[in-house]
Amino acid sequence: MDERTIEQVVREVLRSLGPRAQVSPAPAGAGPAPTRGLDPQTDYPLATRRPELVKTPTGKSLADITLEKVKRGEITPQDLRITAETLYMQAQIAEKVGRPQFARNLRRAAELTKVPDERILEIYSALRPYRSTKAELLAIADELEQKYGAKMNAELVREAADVYERRGRLRSA
Amino acid sequence: MKRSKRFEILAKRPVNQDGFVQEWPEVGLIAMNGPNDPKPSIKIEGGRVVELDGKPRAQFDMIDQFIADHAINLELAAEVMQRDSRELAKLIVDVNVPRSEIVKLTTAMTPAKICEVVGYMNVVEMMMALQKMRARKTPDIQCHVTSLTDNPVQIAAEAAEAAIRGFDEMETTVGVVRYAPFNALALLVGSQTGRGGVLTQCALEEATELRLGMRGFTSYAETISVYGTENVFIDGDDTPWSKAFLASAYASRGLKMRFTSGTGSEVQMGYAEGKSMLYLEARCIYITKGAGVQGLQNGSISCIGIPGAVPGGIRAVLAENLITTMLDLEVASGNDQTFSHSDIRRTARTMMQFLPGTDFIFSGYSAVPNYDNMFAGSNFDAEDYDDYLVLQRDLMVDGGLRPVREEDVVKVRNKAARALQAVFRGLDLPPITDEEVEAATYAHGSADMPKRNVVEDLKAAEEMMKRGITGLDIVKALAAGGFEDVAQNVLGMLRQRVSGDYLHTSSIIDATFTVRSAINDPNDYRGPGTGYRLSPERWEEISDIPTALRPADF
Repeated sequence: MDERTIEQVVREVLRSLGPRAQVSPAPAGAGPAPTRGLDPQTDYPLATRRPELVKTPTGKSLADITLEKVKRGEITPQDLRITAETLYMQAQIAEKVGRPQFARNLRRAAELTKVPDERILEIYSALRPYRSTKAELLAIADELEQKYGAKMNAELVREAADVYERRGRLRSA
Repeated sequence: MKRSKRFEILAKRPVNQDGFVQEWPEVGLIAMNGPNDPKPSIKIEGGRVVELDGKPRAQFDMIDQFIADHAINLELAAEVMQRDSRELAKLIVDVNVPRSEIVKLTTAMTPAKICEVVGYMNVVEMMMALQKMRARKTPDIQCHVTSLTDNPVQIAAEAAEAAIRGFDEMETTVGVVRYAPFNALALLVGSQTGRGGVLTQCALEEATELRLGMRGFTSYAETISVYGTENVFIDGDDTPWSKAFLASAYASRGLKMRFTSGTGSEVQMGYAEGKSMLYLEARCIYITKGAGVQGLQNGSISCIGIPGAVPGGIRAVLAENLITTMLDLEVASGNDQTFSHSDIRRTARTMMQFLPGTDFIFSGYSAVPNYDNMFAGSNFDAEDYDDYLVLQRDLMVDGGLRPVREEDVVKVRNKAARALQAVFRGLDLPPITDEEVEAATYAHGSADMPKRNVVEDLKAAEEMMKRGITGLDIVKALAAGGFEDVAQNVLGMLRQRVSGDYLHTSSIIDATFTVRSAINDPNDYRGPGTGYRLSPERWEEISDIPTALRPADF
């Protein structure tokens, strides 16, 4: 059996393991990946091995992003962004190749897909030393959690608030 | 004293213009195995680290806490920490033990333990280990493309040439900060003219760098610095938490990124806390791991003069690259700053990564002459191209470059300059003249370029950002200017950020826009005849330097 045939067989087996979740915007705070059973050996890179799983935030597929459509103005910057679902799939792949910390980063990133560019830059700035009071950091954590469903990021910011307080790296109120 | 003629001659040798210093552990001027370095230890209670390398949790500084809570795989930690460090070092060098087995052990060590382990290795053993432990099977190389005058036409031409010479990643930075959008734009257009799929970045202040990435002017980032002591980290205006957030911010926009650190930075900034350079660097590598970043640029980087001055310093620089791979991270292994006046010494320094191969042997090799390198010069530059090609050929080593023909270089430089000319026209930026295109086609450096109106350029660069120009506008301008193939390539780079495949460890993008990373090109080295080997085609390519005589020439 050649490699291609094996790949085909593995894919069929995977497919039979259960229905793949629809790629749709995840509800706020959705931690786990919607897609199960991705195999780094056969499914990565997603763009070439599983293109049907990858969608833009506007629901387009990778094949829809063509030069002709760009020229006609049918592709916007919003079409060239990664979705939370894709990041959860990549996190799953990272876990399966034994990279738990990297996977957690990708899961935090999935949460941040919903946070606007400018707000991301502001939060980053607020996390730099001596920029924020503890109350300000805790408010950011609450905002991340409540407004964007970004639980893991909220946890990271709360952890920062505690350690900054202990080490004297907060802005004096 | 009457001077010996021998000593007079020796005093004039380039190596004696280099700075050297004896060890001085109290201020951190010691490469590795410092007398004040902590002894390895870990205590875990209820799944939480309560003691790390001799320090109880109550005394943890920021970095200790971040490492203890995020960076170490605790399941095996207690067991691995018990094991004899010399025996662990032997396993790492042993070709019969695969990388995947080693990573389980090394990711369960503490910073002090991992330093103790590599401390048993000499440089040949470290190279053996690096050959096995780098994450991606195929070694690669990154370059710097910068200009003393931030000349965008030159940058585009240089990038195109660098692409056909084999560089798969390119980094630019600025002389004048406000030129950044033009430098990033020129690098993008030039690189994609040379070869579709080359990754590009523009090294800037953290927030600005992220902004350019979000806009689609760059495809990855690297200048996200981390440091090994809390004081230096704070002086760098960040914390492990702010940097971890930044890492996720990049990934949330589908952009690849790695951190940067290096031995000597803490000494240079005056807060080494009496610890050895390697121990402090190990902490940086663990911060990177803990933040969940896929890789790290290290190998002293801009501080290479400091480890370079102390005994065993260049060995420590190799050790830091090795530790990075032992923590299962991509390594872009330095060799990127002017380090010695001696050609012998700078070559020897680079052999430590060139011979075993790393994810990026240089980070980067200067694709421009030394005077144009705005990272304060690299260890190898454009004038060393042919030397480097001969080193590959002499030693049958894949250093990532290939011989090129002059006519091909001239052609691709010209095309890149014209493509950028079209983009400037399309985006209503200050015109690029045909004279500039001609100069960039044949230039060796910025001295060969006509002067541009800098005031006008800077104003236009700022306005371009205010107008909200994105990568898509660049694609449109290229297509409208008749450069459909380059437009396709730039679009191909933008498409990468949708699938996220290249976020993974040690990713590069080949000419078919397929990602090759540590997942689909994993390093499977198991001794002679395994791992990365030159294919017959690649060996033929490396062998075929234009200056070699052929039988037909006789």
